Amino acid sequence: MSEPQNSSQPGKSITVDGVSKIYQSRGGGEVEACRRIDLEIKAGEFVAIVGPSGCGKSTLLYMMAGFSAPTTGQILCGGVAVRGPDIERSMVFQNYALFPWLDVRGNVEFGLENKGVPRNLRTEKVDRHLKLVGLSEFADKHISELSGGMKQRVAIARAFAVEPGVILMDEPFGALDALTRRFLQKELLRIWREQACTVAFVTHSVPESIVLADRIVVMSARPGELKSMIDVDLPHPRDSTSDGFRDLERRIYADLDEELAKTFSAEGLLG
Amino acid sequence: MREERGLFGHLLPYLYAATFIVVVWQLVVTLTKPHVSLLPPPYLVAQGFYELVASGQLFVHAGVSLARVLSAWFLSMLIAVPLGLAMGRSRLIERLVDPVIELLRPISPLAWIPLAILWFGIGESGKIFIVFIGTFFPTLLATVAGVKGIEPHLIHAGQVFGCKSQFALFRKIVLPAALPSIITGLRISFGTGWAAIIAAELVAARSGLGYLIANGMEILRADQVLVGMIAIGVLGVAFDAGLRYVGRRLTWEGAA
Ligand SMILES: Nc1ncnc2c1ncn2[C@@H]1O[C@H](COP(=O)(O)OP(=O)(O)O)[C@@H](O)[C@H]1O
Ligand SMILES: [Mg+2]
Repeated sequence: MSEPQNSSQPGKSITVDGVSKIYQSRGGGEVEACRRIDLEIKAGEFVAIVGPSGCGKSTLLYMMAGFSAPTTGQILCGGVAVRGPDIERSMVFQNYALFPWLDVRGNVEFGLENKGVPRNLRTEKVDRHLKLVGLSEFADKHISELSGGMKQRVAIARAFAVEPGVILMDEPFGALDALTRRFLQKELLRIWREQACTVAFVTHSVPESIVLADRIVVMSARPGELKSMIDVDLPHPRDSTSDGFRDLERRIYADLDEELAKTFSAEGLLG
Repeated sequence: MREERGLFGHLLPYLYAATFIVVVWQLVVTLTKPHVSLLPPPYLVAQGFYELVASGQLFVHAGVSLARVLSAWFLSMLIAVPLGLAMGRSRLIERLVDPVIELLRPISPLAWIPLAILWFGIGESGKIFIVFIGTFFPTLLATVAGVKGIEPHLIHAGQVFGCKSQFALFRKIVLPAALPSIITGLRISFGTGWAAIIAAELVAARSGLGYLIANGMEILRADQVLVGMIAIGVLGVAFDAGLRYVGRRLTWEGAA
């Protein structure tokens, strides 16, 4: 179990209440991306969402962000219905989505400026968060001068700097090499502990979900439903060679294998 | 990192090209011995160039042409950029405007010259109109393409990080993200505008580089024609290089 968080910023709960999402595809057909999902993420909790690709993980996360509305059901943040994107729910994207026309400092400052934080306070917050991700010396660098790992650290600093209630992360480390990934997982946990907020973290990596999360949500193949919910009661830092870790891994893979078999048989690849 | 070549380094390819052209030109003159009123040798044109510079006439004509292009170019930018931003973001606006654009766009600005003369006579407004037609479409299309090419997650990031209104989103995300493409469009449209003004001045003008050329033809002064052409080429290249430089300075694409 993770320690109780520094409560200066308590984080906000997320309630997913009977949410389905049906996309109208171009040809006139329909794609059901999520089906009747009920999920309660507690304030300050770190929840990982894993599932086969195409099962609707991003769709669910984007509905939490407010980019698109559920077809049925509703999503609440801190008990209030989500009506659109808001700075209280910040986000880290897989492809970084940094603003290339701004430097590192400008990117981290962007949200603070829009929040109306006065300049001197802004500078202080940017400096603190750049330090948290170890990029103090890179404040004036151009985004295109950074490596993938550094870009994602800037994106993490940008997301935490606005002191949101919730951070939504869509496979943020998916494009990074294994070592960078491992390092950033540790950094993320450290920052999250320092600045308590709720995290919903989408990944297709089972070990990553176990390293990071308090609780793991396994989704079924499309249309994504909740398959299982697994509490991770291992102490941090989590040792991927420990028995507890291995047991969890086995359980999650067993669930996922069932779903993958469905996906592939649906596609006619298995007998 | 870009290597700093210095002014001379940048000019070198142009000097080479100019030398090449002059050598070929001289060869043609030496070998075929055309009449001076058809193709004068380089030195005679250089002399004509000097005379037109010394009398100040070249500057007057070049200034007039430039003023026409710059004002029409600026005017078209004021309309094409906002319209392009709107078309790039709104399917409805695009559906309304795009068919009209697609119908008008293939009509060369030169084809508008007769109408422009009928409507505006041979005053300034007719020429501004022609250049406007020539510069409007490239700027518009580049702006639309720039907006449509914006990575969708950049828009999402803008919304998540506090751009509450469409206006804020335009100002803080859409415009800067599309700026490199817009500036490229402006550069290209300056080129088409520069070509269009010369054509318009050839047909109906009392001043400008196009007029200088047309006048040279009437008084059988091929050297004056060539001086005009050289001035057009040099100014075109200079402005394009200047705009490219400004573009690199202004946008993030050239920054690394
Ligand atoms: N905007 C959209 N329009 C139509 N279909 C979509 C759209 N976004 C996603 N989908 C479809 O919904 C399903 C779930 O996609 P997604 O949420 O991206 O899955 P995941 O993130 O789990 O890989 C996929 O089949 C995808 O093709
Ligand atoms: Mg996804």
